[in-house]
Amino acid sequence: MKKSKQVFSLLIVLFLAGWGFCLAASDEKPPPPLTQINTQVLGPQRLGPLPPVVAPPNNPQSSVKILLGKQLYFDTRLSKDNTISCATCHDPLLGWSDKGPTSKGIAGQMGGRRSPPVSNAAYLPLQFWDGRSPSLEDQAKGPIQNPIEMGNTHQAMIRTVADIPGYVEEFQLVFGEGPITVQQVADAIAAFERTVVTTDSRFDRFARGDHAALTRLEKQGLEVFNGKGHCTACHWGPNFTDGRFHNLGVPAGDPKNPDLGRYVVTKDPHDMGAFKTPTMRDVSLRAPYLHDGSEKTLESLIDFYDRGSGKDANLDPLLVPLGLNRMEKKALLAFLKALVSLNPEVAAVQPVPQAALPK
Amino acid sequence: MKKTILVLLSGVVIALSFCQPLTAIPAFARKHGFNCNMCHVAFPKLNDFGQRFRDNGYQIPGQSGRENTVFETSIPLALRTTAGHSLYKNKQGTTAGFGLYGLDMLAAGVLHKNLSFLFVYTPRIDEPAADFNGPSNGTNPAQIATIESASVVFSNLAGEKLNLRVGRFEPAYHLISSKRSYYVRQPYEIYDFPAGSNPYSFAINQIGIEASGRFQPGLKYSLGIINGSGGAPDNNTGKDVYVTLQKTFGKGEGQSAGQRLGVFGYFGRQPSAFSPGTVVAPTGENNGRENRSFYRLGGSLSLNWKTVNLQALVLKGNDNKAFNYYETTRDYSFWGGLVQLDVAALANNRLVASLLYNWVQPSKYDRPNRVSAYSALLRYYLGSWSAVNIAVHAEYSHRSLWDNPFFNDDVFTLLLDFDF
Repeated sequence: MKKSKQVFSLLIVLFLAGWGFCLAASDEKPPPPLTQINTQVLGPQRLGPLPPVVAPPNNPQSSVKILLGKQLYFDTRLSKDNTISCATCHDPLLGWSDKGPTSKGIAGQMGGRRSPPVSNAAYLPLQFWDGRSPSLEDQAKGPIQNPIEMGNTHQAMIRTVADIPGYVEEFQLVFGEGPITVQQVADAIAAFERTVVTTDSRFDRFARGDHAALTRLEKQGLEVFNGKGHCTACHWGPNFTDGRFHNLGVPAGDPKNPDLGRYVVTKDPHDMGAFKTPTMRDVSLRAPYLHDGSEKTLESLIDFYDRGSGKDANLDPLLVPLGLNRMEKKALLAFLKALVSLNPEVAAVQPVPQAALPK
Repeated sequence: MKKTILVLLSGVVIALSFCQPLTAIPAFARKHGFNCNMCHVAFPKLNDFGQRFRDNGYQIPGQSGRENTVFETSIPLALRTTAGHSLYKNKQGTTAGFGLYGLDMLAAGVLHKNLSFLFVYTPRIDEPAADFNGPSNGTNPAQIATIESASVVFSNLAGEKLNLRVGRFEPAYHLISSKRSYYVRQPYEIYDFPAGSNPYSFAINQIGIEASGRFQPGLKYSLGIINGSGGAPDNNTGKDVYVTLQKTFGKGEGQSAGQRLGVFGYFGRQPSAFSPGTVVAPTGENNGRENRSFYRLGGSLSLNWKTVNLQALVLKGNDNKAFNYYETTRDYSFWGGLVQLDVAALANNRLVASLLYNWVQPSKYDRPNRVSAYSALLRYYLGSWSAVNIAVHAEYSHRSLWDNPFFNDDVFTLLLDFDF
């Protein structure tokens, strides 16, 4: 009996020591970069101001590269018929998205999904609604050759850019001598997109300690957002998104050609009909909502979630009816509007074209 | 005297309503940075999200393995206690006084992907003493020392179909949880009812293994094998078993949305005789003998409309005649139940009102133990909801033993319920 007591005591001491060690060790561990949160298997993070963007080692930021990327971002000549630029569907004046509900590409063709916002996309580990792209660089190549979006080919786009003297000069300045490549175009656009961060909303000021930055109603809305509204179950962390994929029960569209979302990428049945959580920053500038633009206003979006979202056999278990009353909805709406950034408009001055259109 | 008490309590309430929110909040909310009512309609009652969180082994629903373990977060400890003033009145007279009504120490969290634990300890409380014999007497502590829960949960062993809970835990046949009831002073009488001489108690947590899960959305099951002796060592070689089935209609879990029906059955054998003093195992098992069977059958429903929740539970119990010291030739049988109406109001459910009716009706040979209790409460949650862990709680109960009006009583309690 004495021996078992000793063993038991020893086990308790070892357990406590081990626990203490683990806690101490965890204190020393630096937090991972935000872009790795989802791949590092970390759970909900607290809401708060955005940290600085971290550029990948193989595409470091420079002022000339960012300027070049900005020019390319706004340049319609990257499309087949010189009508569509990145900014056409990711318009800074529309919250870096468009007026939707889905986006219009070349020759008036309509895409199947709404344009996801470019703002703060730098913090996301996966791009596109279905996360098929692992980086901004990879993402930037996609729309150029998408037949519905810019309708071009990479080769034709490169020929166009290489025919513009101003671009040739700038590419040489940024990337050195040699032919212009698709990767360079993508790197430059991605470098610019990493500057499109919206860091100065009234919520950010509140989070930094300015308690007067939010009104009483907005503070009540924050409480709803982080509690009874269950918004932070998915829209957590400084970027107000988990970067993960959820099935909200939004109808899959054309029954003959349904939009299966993340499933197309992973072939995992759990991902059927699941789409990436978008950031809530600047959300009030980006109506309509959801990946298909089916909710026209923020009010109707709140009602959608209050009902427990839509219906689907694969509906995410995070979604339940909320039982919000009118006052709570009003407060939530007020808080969401307080997420609009007060940053100087990053694209207020658009770049001057470098040369006349090619023949 | 009453005026003084009311003035004092009002002062405390007003002072607390103006104080800064506490930074320390209970373990899960602290870990995730969520407000309390992410998981609770208002603490301690779980909402649908909280129920799914619990069912998923204290992991965010649908997100198993994608969050921090206890080794990467703050120490997952929490305390809950209640302190206030009670007024007790029966035919013999009236008593009133301040008191502490319990203390729970809780640790819980995720140890590894799909592996979590819950530990709840209630320490022995000699002071403040439970009676005028005082702490030196030691025979009647205000609270006994109990490891109320110490369980490990293995989640998602076969997707949502199988989770295993091992240790001491609240069994799933508590279709309406008494542990997370708003009522602090009024128990669910049918849970606490002492049926004859059967050592089994429906109310208390049990030691054993429970499998649970769902085979289709909205349909939950559980199967358990337990000692059936609560916190005491097992006293026979047989084990008790139970099964539950719950079906939810509509979205939600029937906690705060959706409509839920549930049934349960408990089948046990407990010794009807003991040989005291003859310990037969180093872990303390007593050699109970003459095992006799008993069962509990019941059903429940939970109906929701906006923030209104109506719950009801009916239980029928039947014990072998060996447990019936009132009439030894017949089985001991009884039935009873509860109906509870909860309403949450104001922004973020700051105000909760509830009505509760309890009844227990044993067979006629045990008429004096028939119970009927009417209760009502109001709870108001103070402070910023990001750290709401204090509730001002007013509760009233009128309890009557139907055949013995002498023991009818009224209890009014005004207290602070706080978690941190």
